[in-house]
Amino acid sequence: MDGYLGSYATLGVLLVVAGAFFVVAYTANRVLRTNAPSAAKSTSYECGLDPAEGSDWAQAQIRYYVYAFLYALFAVESVFLFPWAVVFDGLGMVSVAEMGVFVAVLALGLLYAWRKGVLTWT
Amino acid sequence: MTPDYYLILAAVLFTIGAVGVLVRRNAIVVFMCVELMLNAANLTLVTFARINGSLDGQIMAFFVMVVAAAEVVIGLAIIMSIFRSRRSASVDDANLLKY
Amino acid sequence: MNDIQLPAIDYAALLPMLIVFGAACVGILVEAFAPRGWRFVIQVSLTIGGLVAGLVAIIVNRDLEITTIGGAVTVDGPGLFLQGAIIILGIVSLGLIAERRLERGGPFVAEAAHAANSDGDKRQEREPGATEVFPLTLFAIAGMMLFCVSGDLLTMFVALEVFSLPLYLLCGLARRRRLISQEAALKYFLLGAFASAFFLYGVALLYGYAGTVSLTGIREGVLQSEQSGILLAAGLALLAIGLLFKAAAVPFHVWTPDVYQGAPTPVTALMAACTKAAAFGGLLRVFNVAFETTAWDWQPVLATVAILTMVVGSILAVAQTDIKRLLAYSSVANAGYLLVGVVSLNGAVGSSLFYLIAYGFSVLGAFAMVTLVRDSEGEATHLSRWAGLGKGSPLFSALFTFLMLGFAGIPLTSGFTSKFALFSSAWDSDQSVLVIVGVLSSVVLAFPYLKVVVLLWLNPPGEETPTVSVPSMLTRAVIFAGVAVTFVLGVAPSFLLDIVADAGPFLAK
Repeated sequence: MDGYLGSYATLGVLLVVAGAFFVVAYTANRVLRTNAPSAAKSTSYECGLDPAEGSDWAQAQIRYYVYAFLYALFAVESVFLFPWAVVFDGLGMVSVAEMGVFVAVLALGLLYAWRKGVLTWT
Repeated sequence: MTPDYYLILAAVLFTIGAVGVLVRRNAIVVFMCVELMLNAANLTLVTFARINGSLDGQIMAFFVMVVAAAEVVIGLAIIMSIFRSRRSASVDDANLLKY
Repeated sequence: MNDIQLPAIDYAALLPMLIVFGAACVGILVEAFAPRGWRFVIQVSLTIGGLVAGLVAIIVNRDLEITTIGGAVTVDGPGLFLQGAIIILGIVSLGLIAERRLERGGPFVAEAAHAANSDGDKRQEREPGATEVFPLTLFAIAGMMLFCVSGDLLTMFVALEVFSLPLYLLCGLARRRRLISQEAALKYFLLGAFASAFFLYGVALLYGYAGTVSLTGIREGVLQSEQSGILLAAGLALLAIGLLFKAAAVPFHVWTPDVYQGAPTPVTALMAACTKAAAFGGLLRVFNVAFETTAWDWQPVLATVAILTMVVGSILAVAQTDIKRLLAYSSVANAGYLLVGVVSLNGAVGSSLFYLIAYGFSVLGAFAMVTLVRDSEGEATHLSRWAGLGKGSPLFSALFTFLMLGFAGIPLTSGFTSKFALFSSAWDSDQSVLVIVGVLSSVVLAFPYLKVVVLLWLNPPGEETPTVSVPSMLTRAVIFAGVAVTFVLGVAPSFLLDIVADAGPFLAK
């Protein structure tokens, strides 16, 4: 197990062992278990919520979705504004201008949303 | 306490997220698992910033948070539109495209 | 607190990207304030104007070699070439996106969330189609341009998302077959986000290994780092997963056929030409700059991926019955050929760049022709519907045949010269096994192309053969560009080969 290809041989052995483990475990399971199929058992199950069919989470009001968007917009802004606010007086007007460009680009998104009527409460 | 534990925690979170993407059916839950993976990467970045004694990793975590927020907006928009036209967010129901 | 230094910014080097980003921002303003009737004209001219201005800026910058903004951006010969290639291919694919004659209101809708045939959807039918696609396209192209010149992995991650996010949206905006289109968007988004999470975790591990994420820093860190080599190996592997996903390499290709088939064809064309160029630009840069010194470790793995990609792509292409899926699997196989170029490192950078241009134009032409074959349901992409088209539409069939022969690599087409250049430079870099697999798989891959040709000319027409629609000048120009470049690069490739030779290697210091 040494030399250039030796490390790949180790990997290969590991893969073979992993595959064998999988096969042996599932074969043992199949041999040992009882077999009593029913319709209920073949439905999908996820812990914590009913199987996804849509009905279980459609109750949230759709209009709050806009809040999620706006939150993302302003959260993004503050992530950079706070660190910048701590140090900007040492950096001069250049950094103010650069932050202005950044905020302007974000404001562009807000402007677009406003013009499209997203911000009105329906 | 050594920072190594945080790296291990991050690796575990990343793995949970990756497995979640592969086994869950609800598109929103799949998407949450992706976010978990991104946050695991963030934790790794911050831990390495601590180990290396530089701030770069923490700055990078900020950038990742911003990118993740943008991704959330796009992802929710796509999931919303598919939910509206199908009344379902199950990734199993999105099955028109196949060989 | 005053020890923070602002990094120097060379605005000239960034100008091409700033122009395209700026045009996209202006596009959003146009969308918000311009009267509805004018938007289409304004957006098309703004988009084309922005891209052309960006191209001019690139040509002015052509001899630039500089690392700027604290190492975030590295402008060098191959980077500028890739930026130019992405802009040119983007301008051409814009012809398909702006096409309005084939379908009333164009191939896109503004509000894809309307259920088909609902009241909102019927209202939308009467309105002129979405013009949001133009700023989205510009953002995607600008992101791709940044991706090709990223000097560190964080910039690369941000650029990856900047070009991916608009593409996810564009996939879901089809006017026809909206459920399939949304499904493609969902699949592309979930898998793309999954892959980018892998990319990011790889970046985090490499940061732990080298203490920096700049590509040149990692190159030096490889020689000096005291951290465990496992961090390097795992980081590189996870990083490569993210990149290979975008490049559609096996085993990360499974999204490709579904997304290519479901997305509106103009967007598919954009992805096949521009995204491929960007993804391979990123792959070439990462492996040539950051990991060249560890090539011995990753070359066998990447070579295996390349072989798998070539073999699986070409064999699955044979079994396809839908023209868009066929072209998708052919793009997977072509990703394999390009990976041969990546494995060959510096020796094959030039021929990989050449291949990206040649393949991009051919695939744009092919998808442009796919948009023309229509019946009352929209595009007829099932291959059985194409049977006997040669009788009714000889010019269309002749041009499509030429493009198929180009893909198959027949001499006098760019398919031949680009494969020849790529394989011969890989041969010189001692990648003979890859070259042999590549040649054999391209023989297999020729079969599905020739099957389409036989179908067009020799099979009898079906009962309801779709018609070949007459497009506007825009799509005609795209088809002309695709066919012309496929031919010109086939007979006189030397001028472009000179340009890629001049571009030189990636800047690695």
